[in-house]
Amino acid sequence: MFVAILYIVLVIVLVWSIVHGRKVIRTERTDAVFGNPIRTQGGYHWVACGVSSLMLVWFTFSWDAGRAFFPNAANELCQVAKLNRALNPVRSAFPLDNRHLLGTRILKRDLHQIELLSEQLGEMGLAETDREKISALISDLRQTLVLQASTEYMAPGIMGRFQDVAARIKQLARDIQSEDFPGPADETRLAEALAQPGWGESSTEIPVLPKTERGRIFDAAAEIMTGITADYSEIRNDGPDLTGRIEDIRQSIEELEAIAVQQEHKDILSDIEKISKRIDDFRVFPTQVTQGIEASLILLEQAMQDRQGSLRFIDAWALPGGNILAGNNACSEQGSGRWLPKPSDTLATFIWMADPGQGYKGFPLFWYKMKPVSEMVDFIVPDWIADLIPGEYGHHDEQGDIDYGFKDSIYNFATGDFDSFSVPVPTGHIWDSILRVLAGLFLGILLGVPLGLFMGLSRFAKGYFDPLVELYRPVPPLAWAPLILTIFGIQDDGKIFLLFMVAFAIMVISARTGATGTQLSKIHAAHSLGASNRQIIQQVILPNSLPEILTGIRISIGVCWGTLVAAEMLAGTTGIGFVENVARKQSDYEIIWMTIIVMGVLGLLFDLIMRFVIDRTIPWRGKG
Amino acid sequence: MKFKKSLIAVSTAFFLSTLANAADEVNVAFFLEWATPNQVAKVEQQYDDALGVPVNWTNFDAGTQMTEAMLAGDIDISYSQGLAPFINAVNANAPIKLISIAVQYPANDCVVRNGEGIDKSNANELEGKSVAVPLATMADYSFRMMMRALDVDVDEINVVDQVPADAAVSLADGAVSMACGFGADSMSKMYEVGAPLMNLADKEAAGIISFDVVSVTESFAQENPDMVKTFLEVTEQANKEFAADQSKIDVIAKDAGLSVEATRNQMSEFYFPSHSEQLSEYFNDGGIASVAISVVGGAFATPENPALDDYSSVIDTSYMQ
Repeated sequence: MFVAILYIVLVIVLVWSIVHGRKVIRTERTDAVFGNPIRTQGGYHWVACGVSSLMLVWFTFSWDAGRAFFPNAANELCQVAKLNRALNPVRSAFPLDNRHLLGTRILKRDLHQIELLSEQLGEMGLAETDREKISALISDLRQTLVLQASTEYMAPGIMGRFQDVAARIKQLARDIQSEDFPGPADETRLAEALAQPGWGESSTEIPVLPKTERGRIFDAAAEIMTGITADYSEIRNDGPDLTGRIEDIRQSIEELEAIAVQQEHKDILSDIEKISKRIDDFRVFPTQVTQGIEASLILLEQAMQDRQGSLRFIDAWALPGGNILAGNNACSEQGSGRWLPKPSDTLATFIWMADPGQGYKGFPLFWYKMKPVSEMVDFIVPDWIADLIPGEYGHHDEQGDIDYGFKDSIYNFATGDFDSFSVPVPTGHIWDSILRVLAGLFLGILLGVPLGLFMGLSRFAKGYFDPLVELYRPVPPLAWAPLILTIFGIQDDGKIFLLFMVAFAIMVISARTGATGTQLSKIHAAHSLGASNRQIIQQVILPNSLPEILTGIRISIGVCWGTLVAAEMLAGTTGIGFVENVARKQSDYEIIWMTIIVMGVLGLLFDLIMRFVIDRTIPWRGKG
Repeated sequence: MKFKKSLIAVSTAFFLSTLANAADEVNVAFFLEWATPNQVAKVEQQYDDALGVPVNWTNFDAGTQMTEAMLAGDIDISYSQGLAPFINAVNANAPIKLISIAVQYPANDCVVRNGEGIDKSNANELEGKSVAVPLATMADYSFRMMMRALDVDVDEINVVDQVPADAAVSLADGAVSMACGFGADSMSKMYEVGAPLMNLADKEAAGIISFDVVSVTESFAQENPDMVKTFLEVTEQANKEFAADQSKIDVIAKDAGLSVEATRNQMSEFYFPSHSEQLSEYFNDGGIASVAISVVGGAFATPENPALDDYSSVIDTSYMQ
């Protein structure tokens, strides 16, 4: 319900934003020059347009809108899919989807194999008598195969069985179209069907039992068709003439094998036996006897199309980009319905995982936990402080009592082994990822900006550091993974270092470009007014390179989020990239999309903050 | 409007692409560096001859990708897909089927670092330590099975998700106490610095075995049952021939992208059960495979994709008969 309303609202927003946007463009066209950056300001209707069109594509191709407007469509299409599944083995034997009849394909394949055998025989150095015997065997084989296509040697009764199958399919086609098929519904079965969870409400996704009248038709038809298909699959062209021939061939193979000495002689005989086993499937029939089935299949298809009626349009328009397939136990969404999870499901997964008691792999997404202050003391105060205190650590006496001294107290304090109050600290996959990105970024800025400025100002620094930075910058972060693992181990420092490397290179280059881009006249002016070197850097060069540096930070944030998945692949224990890495291996698309969206939204949030900072700190940009 | 038009175009393209025209060629997925006797048949084009259509072989890095390609309609048969990705796929209701076992091999090892002083007698000392495991793979399954066999509480272990190559590095550095993995290269690096927690006999006694399966898409099996059957026949024949005569190991090595020596080592641990063995010992009621599949099914169940009550509906052994 909510999805349906939201969908309509999105359509209205999309239409409104385009209409409004065009109106605004018409009035603006006269009063702004092309290329004037002021023209890009404002325009929030275009943001609405972009977001709503993106959401509409997502809602449509994930079939969320289809599910909201036609909640029974999947169940009905599932019944159609069941009939298609039952029909498939018969259908695939006829040139409806394929180019050739099944018999034609088998004939072509087996004849080719027999051809290969005769060629092989020609190249073998066998005695003349052996060769003749085998050659006769091969031609017998070919004969047996070819005779299957002739009506003369056809097994008795086959014609009747094919006609029976064709008549039953025709009857099914008529039944489907008739009004009173499949008769009154079985009450208990209907109640069972209606009690099923709806589309997407359980892990089964699509309810299997038919809920609607239209669904019942196809479900019943599928059951009948399964019986017809089973009977059809049993029909073999195994008349006494043909089976007799195969037996003769088998017998001669055995006889020849008994006297064969050479290895290649034996090989070709076993090859002949292999092909004879394929021919004795007897799946080739005279073309005219199966034609009736093909005609009735076309009738059935027509009946199915008629009877589906509006369902076919719902399938094409509300469920685009894929189809619903009947499987072993259940029907499943295939195509974009499978790999593009529905927005409402993705949100539900997110809400479910955001529950701190649930989380992912036993760790919450984003929550807080109470941490005793003593742990922070342990982190800050080094343990060796206790070693500096004169005296000795306590030891136990004969009663087993331990006498703790002042030295022990200090040691306990330094290791955080004391009672203290607790303070709430954030925790969770998302928080861990944010910390890693921020730490990498912070270090990158802290070291990258001074080095970049230095490189922009000093010949030594430029020459000395240029090769280092330029050599490592283009290497993809993942390539460093084994090295970083060896150097830093599996803790956070390795991941942070990887992110630092990415941010550092960008910051160096942007700071350097900013520094070298300072107008010489400004530096000269400051110099002639008596500014010291330090003042020139602080008052002239740094403010002038700020736009470049801030743009560098903006780019670094984006790239750091992009590298996060790789960084957390090093040794995953927590983090949003870790969640992605595990979900990917299980093809859990809802979780994959959830992590993608979380990372995207966090990246966007950081970027918006940076845009705000840029607007505040360098309002003069673009106006100089 | 233009936007709507392109939407129609895209949806039509999607729709058309789902109308697969299967029987003109057969697409088979396989792994490199995973030596199997049927590679002789593959190189000698016995499959092409027997099936009567061109057989295209595509190599993959992971079984999950095989599933994806099968669902996208690009692959008809996956040869030696791991059991874990297959189970993950059927738990998610993917329309694919297991038709045979490709190869049985010793379950993936977990290697304890030398100096930790941990072996199978005191394995519960792993609790509280870090262990590198490639999550949601067969190595993950072995790890869980071993911990269960040795009465170790997995929740108490700090499990680190690492690919085997990275896990080998972490094990050597001592960042983790134990590493589980697969792949000849990574494992030999791990054995350099540690010893397996359970040896082959221990694992077999605890019933921990691994195998790769042959899986097909439902629609391909329905439309071309004779091709599926022939595919298995050729494979069986190749296995038999290799068991009798190993002179063609260089062909396998070349096709697998391994040295002859490495191929020999790898294949010495492989076992290729024949069809009759599979039917009588593996897929019968309570057989090796039937039991293992339901255990793996439970091990990889998620709330979103829970384990099936009964896996027999995704197993179809009729093509082996």
